[in-house]
Amino acid sequence: MSTDQTFTALIADDEAPMRDLLRARLQAVWPGLQIVAEAANGLQAVELGEQHKTDIAFLDIRMPGMSGIEAARQLYRHSHIVFATAYDQYALDAFQQGALDYLLKPVSAERLATTCARLRTRLEASRQPSRLAPAPPEDIGRQLAQLTALLENKGKAAAEARPKSGYLRWIQAQVGASLRMVSTREVLFFQSDEKYTRVQTTSAEFLIRKTLKELLDELDPDEFWRIHRSTLVRVDAIAEVSRDLRGRQMLRLKNYKGELEVSRNHSYLFQQM
Amino acid sequence: MRASHINHALDFVRDAVNEASKWWWRFFDWVAVVEWRRLFLTWFLVLLFFGMLNTPEPAVWYIFISFAVKVLAGGKRKAELMARDATMQANVATLERRLMEARMAALQAQVEPHFLFNTLALIGQLIETDPPEAARVHAHLIDYLRATLPQMRARDGGTLGKQVELSRAYLAIMQARMKERLGVRFIVPMFLHSAPFPPMMLQTLIENSIKHGLEPKIEGGTVTVRAQVVDATLQVEVCDDGVGIDPHADDGVGLANIRERLQLLYGSQAELLIATPPGGGACATIRLPYQMMENA
Repeated sequence: MSTDQTFTALIADDEAPMRDLLRARLQAVWPGLQIVAEAANGLQAVELGEQHKTDIAFLDIRMPGMSGIEAARQLYRHSHIVFATAYDQYALDAFQQGALDYLLKPVSAERLATTCARLRTRLEASRQPSRLAPAPPEDIGRQLAQLTALLENKGKAAAEARPKSGYLRWIQAQVGASLRMVSTREVLFFQSDEKYTRVQTTSAEFLIRKTLKELLDELDPDEFWRIHRSTLVRVDAIAEVSRDLRGRQMLRLKNYKGELEVSRNHSYLFQQM
Repeated sequence: MRASHINHALDFVRDAVNEASKWWWRFFDWVAVVEWRRLFLTWFLVLLFFGMLNTPEPAVWYIFISFAVKVLAGGKRKAELMARDATMQANVATLERRLMEARMAALQAQVEPHFLFNTLALIGQLIETDPPEAARVHAHLIDYLRATLPQMRARDGGTLGKQVELSRAYLAIMQARMKERLGVRFIVPMFLHSAPFPPMMLQTLIENSIKHGLEPKIEGGTVTVRAQVVDATLQVEVCDDGVGIDPHADDGVGLANIRERLQLLYGSQAELLIATPPGGGACATIRLPYQMMENA
């Protein structure tokens, strides 16, 4: 109605065609809304959002730099957040339970019209009275925190991407000018060798500076066992354990010729069941 | 000092005994499986040799021991060896099953819902804003899906050219989504297009590059696919200038899958190497044997 009733919005999506579509749709269903900023990643979204203090922020969930949810945790204090996603089953589950607004991509005109109508009444209500009711940001903040936790945990099992495991998964070995990344799944054993640690795979051998002690702290203890003061062996690679003439336990590995000695301190690892 | 001497002596004795027992068992195995005819022949030769030296005793001992071993243990040993062969065959069957599983896993990793939904969303939006582009992306998606599915059923239909073509369709879709954030470079000589190359490996590497290297990087980057022959080895590398590899990030089913399948198909002759070049980013290289002449 009056000029002070215009609202501002921010659109954040890393895919330009998606921003174009959302802008076009918004202009059609809500001509009065001013789209004052567009961001192509999460960091930019936070920066522009802080700068313009827009009434609404449309945030894609998956963005480089910073996810839409992380960005929302900084923007929700002065902007109403509307998430957009094409497919994210866990996020969708969470949205359906909570009070957060979300849109499914590609954004349909009908769905956007409903969302916009709701936003409008809410924004107008918060402006008209005595500015005393700024929604309940604590509640939104809590929901966003939950959502972040949820996505981090569920994402592990779901996304067959590389989930962060906490354990060391790649051994970096200098080979010429470049750094070879040796997956721990390729490693048969680590053996300390004076100043260096020897990394043995089925096809190659590398020397790294990391000490056995450091490796022991960083590797998954279920993946690698210490069998000797100077040896860490990958459990999956063990073929059999036998005793030699002096009564020492010796390990034979799959796809490897030599044998590894198990020290007495660690022989409990290979007791008969 | 004395203790270390004793230890040295012990080590020596132990090694000697080990060595001797190894040779004894090697001899034992040989006697057990050798044909009687050949055994007679060795007896004759040994007799002849020691006869000439005028000390027939070792020859007699040799004949006596090998005869005893042959009679007493030959049958049992032969059965053991046959059982080992049977186990080997069972292993081959297991390997084949594992290969099938790997293929299924590759298929699942391939057409992931995220990719499909995002591409469909893109097409949906392009229909309104840019119909010709929508038609192009749509065509790429069809190419990509069609090439992906039947290929999984063909047992060995993969050539490098086919894999490159399939990857181009995938990259074209990703370029439509990421726009100028994604650059693509193919350096694959024409003569290598007919070289046999296992399916779904190139795509997995390219997808990894985009998903883990370039998508998380704000300004994006370039994927470079290069194929060359180095000393009878076909070397196909996928490099990106993205965010690199986090040493704590799981290497994912995709790479484990490639490694396993290379092992099954080529044994130790093929390998997958991952490296991070000094300039940043990541490089994955598949090396496998290359034959100059593809037999017709």
